[in-house]
Amino acid sequence: MFSSIGNPRQAAAQLMNFGLILSTAFMMWKGLSIITDSPSPIVVVLSGSMEPAFQRGDLLLLWNRNIQAETSVGEVVVYNVKDKDIPIVHRIVRKFGTGPNAKLLTKGDNNLSDDTELYAKGQDFLVRKDIIGSVVGFIPYVGYITIMLSEHPWLKTVMLGIMGLMVVLQRE
Amino acid sequence: MYSSLVRLQNTFGFFTTVIFVVAALIASTDFITPRAPVVSTLKTNSVQVVRGRPHYYSSKKEEYAVIKFSLEADLSSLFTWNTKQVFVYVTAEWPHTPSAIAAGNVTENQAVIWDQIITAPSSDHLANLGPAAMKKLRKSAAGKSIDPSRGKLIIKNQKPKYQITHPSSKIAETDNVVLKLHYNVQPWVGLLTWNQETDFFKWKKLKNGLSKKFALPAIKTKKTEGQKGSSK
Repeated sequence: MFSSIGNPRQAAAQLMNFGLILSTAFMMWKGLSIITDSPSPIVVVLSGSMEPAFQRGDLLLLWNRNIQAETSVGEVVVYNVKDKDIPIVHRIVRKFGTGPNAKLLTKGDNNLSDDTELYAKGQDFLVRKDIIGSVVGFIPYVGYITIMLSEHPWLKTVMLGIMGLMVVLQRE
Repeated sequence: MYSSLVRLQNTFGFFTTVIFVVAALIASTDFITPRAPVVSTLKTNSVQVVRGRPHYYSSKKEEYAVIKFSLEADLSSLFTWNTKQVFVYVTAEWPHTPSAIAAGNVTENQAVIWDQIITAPSSDHLANLGPAAMKKLRKSAAGKSIDPSRGKLIIKNQKPKYQITHPSSKIAETDNVVLKLHYNVQPWVGLLTWNQETDFFKWKKLKNGLSKKFALPAIKTKKTEGQKGSSK
């Protein structure tokens, strides 16, 4: 099984193969990012504030271009708040004005009150540039793996180890 | 070549491929199912503007529009086997800036005054309800996995869930306000869809989704100011 280690040519080819897998994944992610114009075209739902529509672990596909119409009321958007790392997925419930400076207010379907409390201090509304995408597609459960990985960091090491081992052991 | 590791890998690869193909097929059935949502009534019952505070500890006074409305709509065609929930919402839309008023740009300001989550029987267990309401909901569709009758809405003289204002705090005496019904279909897997302005293959646009234009009156002073004892 470990015969490849004795053969430098084969070892190099396997290393290349591993690099190829990683770079392909990276290229696909960045390519999707360019197509959707969103820094993070796929997000995993982390909270239950949009239940029953979205549960923890569901995967959302985002779209961040305004080809036909402006982002407006009723759209489910992912936004970032200043000084907070975690993007939030909520629905726009109010929009005042038009254009890039329109004032937007969001609310989670499952929450009683709107998001004013979640915004930065002194911020009452979002503007278009706070939004990193509108939800257009939905795939259930698939993202749960990333929640597990971030909640149990040792899983990450185990998974990387298995993946590395598989590539090294694979003979073509 | 045929080590158990390779077999495991192939099995897992095939499994994920099958799952994604099946999911894509299910998602695509949305497009072959006709939709013909119709609104038969959408009208205001009473409209008033009151003065109030955004929250208890605020000293800021704002004007709030309280719009009671009636709604009758048939959205039953939106409920299919891939429907997880339908989110129905009514917005009030009005122009505010002089240029928007001149151009008749009603959509300049939009605010949701009422919304409702209609779960499909298959997602009832996820609804955020108390035990009694949950029991009633589940009983209403016992034995059914799809219940299009939930799309038939008859709502009379409904109080708004949200009292709306404008960032300028002024909303009284606004002309050309309309109510608009919207919906958002949330699938079990696939694309989220909203009410359309035009027909899209088998999906018809939402009919009569707009109310007649109405005007918001001047501030009603008697009741609200009297209660707080701080008339201006």
